[in-house]
Amino acid sequence: MSHSLHRHGTREQLQQDYTFYARTSRYVNREGCGPKLRRILQILLEEGQVNNFGSSHAGKSYVAGLKPEEYALTLDKAYGLAACFSEKAAVRSLLAKLKEADTGISIVVSGLIDEIAAIAKGLDLTPHTVFLSLGVHGKRASLPEERVIEVTTMCGHGQVATRLTRAAMERVRAGKMTPEAAAHLLAQPCPCGIFNTTRCARILEAVREASAEADHP
Amino acid sequence: MRIDAEKCMGCMECAEFCPMDCIVEREGFGYIDEDECVECGVCLRVGVCPNDALFIPKESLCYPRLIRAQFSDPGVAHPSTNQAGRGTEEMKTNDVTGRFRRGEFGMALEFGRPGIGTRLTEIEKVLQTLMAMQVELEENNPVFALVADKTTGRLKPEVRNEKVLSAILEFKIRQEQLEEVVGRLRPVLAEVDTVVSWGLATRFAENGSLPALSRLEALGVPARPNGKVNMGMGRPIVEP
Repeated sequence: MSHSLHRHGTREQLQQDYTFYARTSRYVNREGCGPKLRRILQILLEEGQVNNFGSSHAGKSYVAGLKPEEYALTLDKAYGLAACFSEKAAVRSLLAKLKEADTGISIVVSGLIDEIAAIAKGLDLTPHTVFLSLGVHGKRASLPEERVIEVTTMCGHGQVATRLTRAAMERVRAGKMTPEAAAHLLAQPCPCGIFNTTRCARILEAVREASAEADHP
Repeated sequence: MRIDAEKCMGCMECAEFCPMDCIVEREGFGYIDEDECVECGVCLRVGVCPNDALFIPKESLCYPRLIRAQFSDPGVAHPSTNQAGRGTEEMKTNDVTGRFRRGEFGMALEFGRPGIGTRLTEIEKVLQTLMAMQVELEENNPVFALVADKTTGRLKPEVRNEKVLSAILEFKIRQEQLEEVVGRLRPVLAEVDTVVSWGLATRFAENGSLPALSRLEALGVPARPNGKVNMGMGRPIVEP
């Protein structure tokens, strides 16, 4: 539940981070959902701008080696599929195609609420329900630094470790790893396909630039 | 999870992948603090060990320890819900299930998130407060199966000290209960020995607005600008 809800980041970062779900209901439309989910997957892949995709039932995400044809075979009686995008235009285009396809499967988009509402308005869609994040409460002193949380919360199941994130940042700072390679490494533990490697690489690049500036003010 | 001491070469490659940071070096070899391990399976799944020294011992598959993997490994199903995942369909399918109607709010308190983990005792502290407020607990959430007494919120004694990566309390309230529920929850949440990510599900008003936003702001729990939006594309739609 809610695994894409509590992503941390600045508004600027979140403008480049959208997650997408096609979700069946066990009470309404899971039975016989395979062909519809495969159609949605096909539309998703045709869109071309998808950053990552998968779902936990498949055991690994696209960036961890999940092949689209292998994934398609897992979608009978599945709870759904997930993906992430870095471009708002791609989300708009995908929703337009899904509206036309009219599969009847519930569609959820996570990201900046006002921007998603604007996309919906432009496509004459009527958003139904929203899940709001009211922040982190309790023992906040135990949390790592915000830059780390911006990365780790891209896996809503908490599979991306703080220690791995700090180590990746250090390797990027030291020039031992590119931001893209480090983002790919960080995406490996997340099986759901919502870890946005493009956004992660941008965060790591910013960490490297900040470090270089500190060294050579 | 455990490391086979006969196979471990002491490279410690696995340690940085552990979300609980509970793999340490002991006498030149990797060692997992099993009291802190939540059985998420990340170290094993990423295939980082060059000598296949990581393994799931039979103790990890026995109740009550078994619930650690059920809450922490997204690929392991809960026997009570017969599906993987810590929660439910919640608002993702609300357009076709009508679980949250206008006049109602869904709430989700996710303990241990982000990245800290939680003992189930921390959930019990809050659950007892909720039970006194007549909220409607979500029976299809896997935490519900661990409750021993539905009137007090006491958990089954054998599970109370189990540690998980995260677990969610899901419940529903009438919209007029918002001020009371938030007011009573905040001091209790401030005292728990972990972190809690708090979510609220609500219908859009017929004019597309979200009246809950100003009420939450006034209560000192403002909503973040990003959230999850059910686009209303499921069919047949309930309560358009």
